[in-house]
Amino acid sequence: MSKLLTVRDLVVEIPARNIKILDGISFSLEAGQTLGLVGESGCGKSMTCYAVANMLPRGIARTGGSVTFEPGGPGTGKPAVPKVAMIFQDPTSSLNPVHTIGYYLESALYRHQGLKGRDARMEAMRLLERVGIDRARSRLRAYPHQLSGGMNQRVMIAHALAARPQLLIADEPTTALDVTMQAQILHLLEELKAETGMSLMIVSHDLGVIARLADKAAVMYCGKIVETAPVAELLDRPAHPYALALIDCMPSIDPEDLEPPAAIPGSVPLLDSLPAGCHFHPRCSRASGECLARFPEPANIGFVHEASCYHPMVS
Amino acid sequence: MSTPLLKASGLAKAFRHKTGLFASPTIQLAVNSISLELASRERIGIVGESGSGKSTLGRLLLGLTEPTRGDVWFEGVNHKQRQARDWKAFRMRTSLVQQNPLSALNPQMTVGQQVAEGLLVHHVTGRAGAYERVAAMFERVGLSSAMMSRYPHQMSGGQRQRVVIARALVLDPKLAVFDEAVSALDVSVQAQVVALLRELWQELDLAYVFITHDLRIVRHLVDRIAVMYLGRVVETGGIRSVYEWPRHPYTRALLASVPTMDPRIRNIEPPIKGELDASKVSQGCAFRLRCPFAIDRCATEIPELRPIRVHGAGQHAACHRADEFPQSIAPQIETVPRVDRTPQKETAL
Repeated sequence: MSKLLTVRDLVVEIPARNIKILDGISFSLEAGQTLGLVGESGCGKSMTCYAVANMLPRGIARTGGSVTFEPGGPGTGKPAVPKVAMIFQDPTSSLNPVHTIGYYLESALYRHQGLKGRDARMEAMRLLERVGIDRARSRLRAYPHQLSGGMNQRVMIAHALAARPQLLIADEPTTALDVTMQAQILHLLEELKAETGMSLMIVSHDLGVIARLADKAAVMYCGKIVETAPVAELLDRPAHPYALALIDCMPSIDPEDLEPPAAIPGSVPLLDSLPAGCHFHPRCSRASGECLARFPEPANIGFVHEASCYHPMVS
Repeated sequence: MSTPLLKASGLAKAFRHKTGLFASPTIQLAVNSISLELASRERIGIVGESGSGKSTLGRLLLGLTEPTRGDVWFEGVNHKQRQARDWKAFRMRTSLVQQNPLSALNPQMTVGQQVAEGLLVHHVTGRAGAYERVAAMFERVGLSSAMMSRYPHQMSGGQRQRVVIARALVLDPKLAVFDEAVSALDVSVQAQVVALLRELWQELDLAYVFITHDLRIVRHLVDRIAVMYLGRVVETGGIRSVYEWPRHPYTRALLASVPTMDPRIRNIEPPIKGELDASKVSQGCAFRLRCPFAIDRCATEIPELRPIRVHGAGQHAACHRADEFPQSIAPQIETVPRVDRTPQKETAL
C-alpha cells in the first residue's frame, strides 16, 4: 500500500494566548486505510482534523511540524494534489439554510468536476441516490430544514463525494444521530470506502464507532497522541491507562454484564493549566514520581503499537 | 393495591400537520393510546428513535402539554381536575431534566441562583436557608459549593449537567422526567452522570421516567423499559427480559444497531433502513414498512400489546409474530471476514 498522508510533530497554537492545542502530533495514513481518533472532548481530535484539512479557525495557527500529502502526478493515475473532504457532527447546522440541496451539490460539482446544467443535476441526483436518499429529483429542490438530521448527514456525505476525495475526514459523523441512523451511516461509509478506495479519518468518543470502521486507532489526550495501535490490538491489549479507562467507560447491551460503565475520575484539564509531566497523571492510578516530572516518550509496545507511558499495562 | 404514584390511561396527543401553503392540514398522533403506571421509587425507561413521541409522552405526564384523549393521575389526582394552586403544588413534587444543559440554563444567572430559584418560588426556605440547601445539593451532585457563583459558560458540559440535576432534585421531588439527560455527553462524562444518578436514586424517594434513544445507558438506570414507535408502545417489560429476548422486530433492530466493541463485526447491513415516517402509515402495524418480517396480516390489523408467555414475566409485545423470533439478535461473527483488508458485502442475519 502506498502512503497518502504523513503528519510529523504537528504543533497548533493560539498564538495570542500562547496556548498549545496540539503538541507534537505524528501519524501516517496509507491509501485506503482508516484511522480512528478517540478521546474525550477537548483532547484535540477535531483540531487535528482541521489542521490536516488546512482549515484551522482564525486565531489558531500551525506553528510547528508538517502535514505532507504524498503527491500523485503523471503515471500514478492520481491527481497531483490529493483532495480532502470533511463532514461534521451536526449536519443541519453545517448546511447553509438559504440554499437548496441541489444548489449545494451542483455548485460543488462545478467547482470540483466542472459540471454544469443538466450534467451537474444528473450527477447530483446520482450522488443522492448513492448515499441512500430516495426521490432524489424532488429532494434537489428541498432545503436543509425540510430534511431530518440523518438525511442531512447523507447530503453532507454526497457533497464530500462530489470532490472525489482521496481522504474523507469524518468528525463525530453519527454522534447527533439515533442508533438506527448511526448503523445506516456507518454502513454507508464502509461501502463508499470500498467503492472509491479513499482513506478515512474518523473522530469519535464512542469506541464502538472506532471499532466498526477504523483499521488503526490513535488515542488522544490533551493535545497529544498517547497510544497508537491496530484497532483490534488496542481494544484487546490497551497499554496506556487512559486507553483502558476509555474502554471501561463504554456501556454495553449485554444483559449478563451487570456492572454500570466505570467512570474516569476527574475531568480533562483546561489547556492553559495542564499538569506538568504526563498530563494524565492526576487521573491515573499508576502515576509515580517520574510521571510528574517529564512527559513520557512514545515507546514500542508491540508490532506497530506505541504508547507514551512510564507504566504501560502489559498482559 | 395502593394508588400508584403516576398513572396514565389511553393517553393520546394529536398535532395538526400542514404539508404546504394550500394543503389541508393532516392530523398526526404523536402519542397514541398509551397507558402506564409508576409506583413510588420505580424507574421506567422510554426508548425509541427521534419522532417516536417519547418526549411528547414525557410532557404529557408532567402536564406540560394537554392530552387530546386520555387521563393522567398523579398521587390519585387527575391532571384535568387541578386548579392553578394544585398545579403549583404538583410542580413542587415533579421535575423535568432536558437534553442540552447549556440551553436549559439561563446564561445571565449564576448556577447557584438557578438551583435556588425553585426553593424561593415555592417559599420552601428563605434566602439564607436556600443558600445552605443549594450548597448541600451542589456537594451531593459532586460539585464544590464554590462553583455556585459561576455562570453556565464557565463550566464544562458534565458540570452543567450536574447543575441541571441539582436544580431538578433540590425540592426533593417524588417524580422526575429525564429527557435525553445524558445523550449529549461524552462517554466518560456519561459514565460519571450515570453513576451519580444511581447513587442519588438510592438515597432519595424518587421515581423517574428516563427518556432516551441510547439502549446502552438506559439499562443501568431503570427497572422496566417501554419501546415506542410512532406514538405507540410496541414492547415493554423488565430490562433483563427485554434485552435477553426482545420480541418485537423494532426492539430487536434497535438493539442490533448498537455498535459493538468487536472490530470483527464489519460490513454488516443495518438492521433496519430509512426512518420513521408517520405520513406513510394509514392502517395496520406502523412498523410494517420497515419490518423485514411483515406479513399480509400486518397491513390490515394493528397488533395489540399482549403478554409474552414463555419467557420473562411482565413482558409485552405488539407484534403478530412475537412468538416466532429466536433469542439471539447478534450477527454471526463466523460469517464476517476477520479484519478485512478487501472489504466484501455481508448480510446481517
